[in-house]
Amino acid sequence: MTLVLTEFESKKLIGKAGIEVVETRLARTCGEAVTISKEIGFPVAMKINSPDIIHKSDSGGVKLGLNDPDGVERAYREIMGAAASRHPRAEIQGVTVQKMAPPGIETIIGVSRDPLFGHVIMFGLGGVFVEVLKDVAFRVVPVTGKDAREMIEEIKGYPLLQGYRGRDPVNIAAVENIILKISDFAEKNPEVVELDLNPVFACADRAVAADARIILAAKNHVNL
Amino acid sequence: MPVISKFFEPDSIAIIGSFREGFFGSHVMIKTLREAGFKGDIYPVNPSYREVLGIRVFPSVAAVPAGIDLAFIMVGCDTVPMIIGECASKGVRAVVVVSDGFAERNEKGARLQEEIVDIARRAGIRIIGPNTAGIVNTANGFNPCPYEAGYSKIKEGPVAICSQTGMTNPQAYPYADLGYGISKICDFGNKCDVDECDLLEYLGNDPATGVISMYLESIRNGRRFLETAKRVTPRKPVLVLKSGRTPEGARASASHTGSMAVDDRIFDAACRQAGIIRLEKFSELFEVPKIFALQPPPGGNRLGIVSYTGGVGVLATDEALKYGLAMARLTDDTAETLNSIFPGLGETPVDLGPVAAARAAGFMDLYPRVLEAVSADGNIDCLLNIIWSNSSAGESEEIYLNLYRKLKRNCPKPLVTWLYGSSLANTARLARKLEEMGFPVYSDLEAAVKSLGIACRYRIQVRRKGGNVNDPCAD
Repeated sequence: MTLVLTEFESKKLIGKAGIEVVETRLARTCGEAVTISKEIGFPVAMKINSPDIIHKSDSGGVKLGLNDPDGVERAYREIMGAAASRHPRAEIQGVTVQKMAPPGIETIIGVSRDPLFGHVIMFGLGGVFVEVLKDVAFRVVPVTGKDAREMIEEIKGYPLLQGYRGRDPVNIAAVENIILKISDFAEKNPEVVELDLNPVFACADRAVAADARIILAAKNHVNL
Repeated sequence: MPVISKFFEPDSIAIIGSFREGFFGSHVMIKTLREAGFKGDIYPVNPSYREVLGIRVFPSVAAVPAGIDLAFIMVGCDTVPMIIGECASKGVRAVVVVSDGFAERNEKGARLQEEIVDIARRAGIRIIGPNTAGIVNTANGFNPCPYEAGYSKIKEGPVAICSQTGMTNPQAYPYADLGYGISKICDFGNKCDVDECDLLEYLGNDPATGVISMYLESIRNGRRFLETAKRVTPRKPVLVLKSGRTPEGARASASHTGSMAVDDRIFDAACRQAGIIRLEKFSELFEVPKIFALQPPPGGNRLGIVSYTGGVGVLATDEALKYGLAMARLTDDTAETLNSIFPGLGETPVDLGPVAAARAAGFMDLYPRVLEAVSADGNIDCLLNIIWSNSSAGESEEIYLNLYRKLKRNCPKPLVTWLYGSSLANTARLARKLEEMGFPVYSDLEAAVKSLGIACRYRIQVRRKGGNVNDPCAD
């Protein structure tokens, strides 16, 4: 029996663990979505928030780069409409309104449970790097600072993080820090079955998690 | 004394089995033990015999008139639980189950194996096996090999071999012919109880062991393996060959051992964290430890190469870079010395081909000067020497041997050698003589370079971790 936390719940936990997360708030109505987007500032992203919808973008539940209140209203209606038609039985808690992630290189940090070694942590570059090239590094939790650094250096795409063709290098220490904090989080929470920060934007000055998903081994409700 | 040490350092052993003569069995075991020089008490147990090889046979374990440190059980698998029960009553704490017919055979055998583990746990007995023949401790002549291997004595040295296959036991591997020495050998067999972690712990603390070479098909407890290895690797190198590196191999391995398939990516990560050096081939279990057993640790990763052909020098360069070695540049002094011996010689890889061709008969007089100059070069941390054993082997062989004798006294850097030539008999003879002198000779060029690379990598790893290597390998 597992419990899939919503993006909103997952980000709350990750944020509490000391990891920088893009500002994400929950809107239960269209009006709330507009108010929140004005407060956090355009452009914003909006995503369906439902414990029953895991693949949000495949279900028409994600709208990015919304620049004004009209766009937000339209996006709200479209997201809700798609959810109602494709997942009629899903429990819909609303939509999350999020600040658009800063420009950076997409990376992935994840945790899974190996039957032999327990929690293992993974790091890689996002997109085709992980999907097609499987360019990822693993370590058994808990990891040391040295392990985290070696994981980052181990992937073939590492030169992209160091800055190539005149681009600024990303803040590797900030990525390292997230790896360490996620390792710590997994160690303190043995009930974590799976955790995905995908993507984490590695920028010149910082690293920010733009999406999060946590799956727990749980029988009952978990207090957040 | 921890129980595991009773498997290697017993003062008294019981051997329960048939004492009929043959190429395998308890009879051979007693013979091998005596020839190997084991001084402990041996108590053969079997109700149908009075005496074997001049030793009194006892009708039961209970009838043995003294304490028993270690029992070898070599009876039909169905009788094993009963014998372990007798060992329990006698207060035996360590048992090797040589018999087969357990989890490796079928369901019934698997249940039988569970039964013996259960009896042993309740009695506080540790088991190695079942389905194993392999334990050796060279320090006390403890070689209870139950097969006629054609030899019983194994040279003492720092290499410990641990494995989950009988392929590394004395009847399967020519230990008597090795140029380097062995500390302990252990074959886990079906690994029903004593496992890789117990052995890592024991060998990690064993002063006679300087390097541990392990073949594994499964891991019993991933966390414990990681933690144990972490403690051992700063003190001595741990080399691991694990089968099942592909998903297909992992499945085959899991079904062979009846244990959980290991995700190789995760195992690899754990090895990195633990400082374990992973091997890729069976032959490396025996080839890679040689560098640790016979040579001083390298002071750095700058490799010097002396070769008879340019091509081989280039191949060696390719390999060297793969394993983190850097090509050394000769100092101006060395370059000048070499150039004065022969124009153009002062560059690494040092290519002897043109000199040999030009000087013909006089070449072997020049040869020692070249190798001595290169080995003394301050820019070189480790050395690969490629020897051509020519047809007039007798004369040149003496020159090589004298030179190596001199290097043994004067050269504090690790030196690996690869030999080639037109006669297998000549190259094999020279290789053996060099190894007996303490210089590792490799079966192929790549293995020679890789071993040096691994030695350098281990050295760097230990320095980074601030570990304290007392180098029991280097004398």
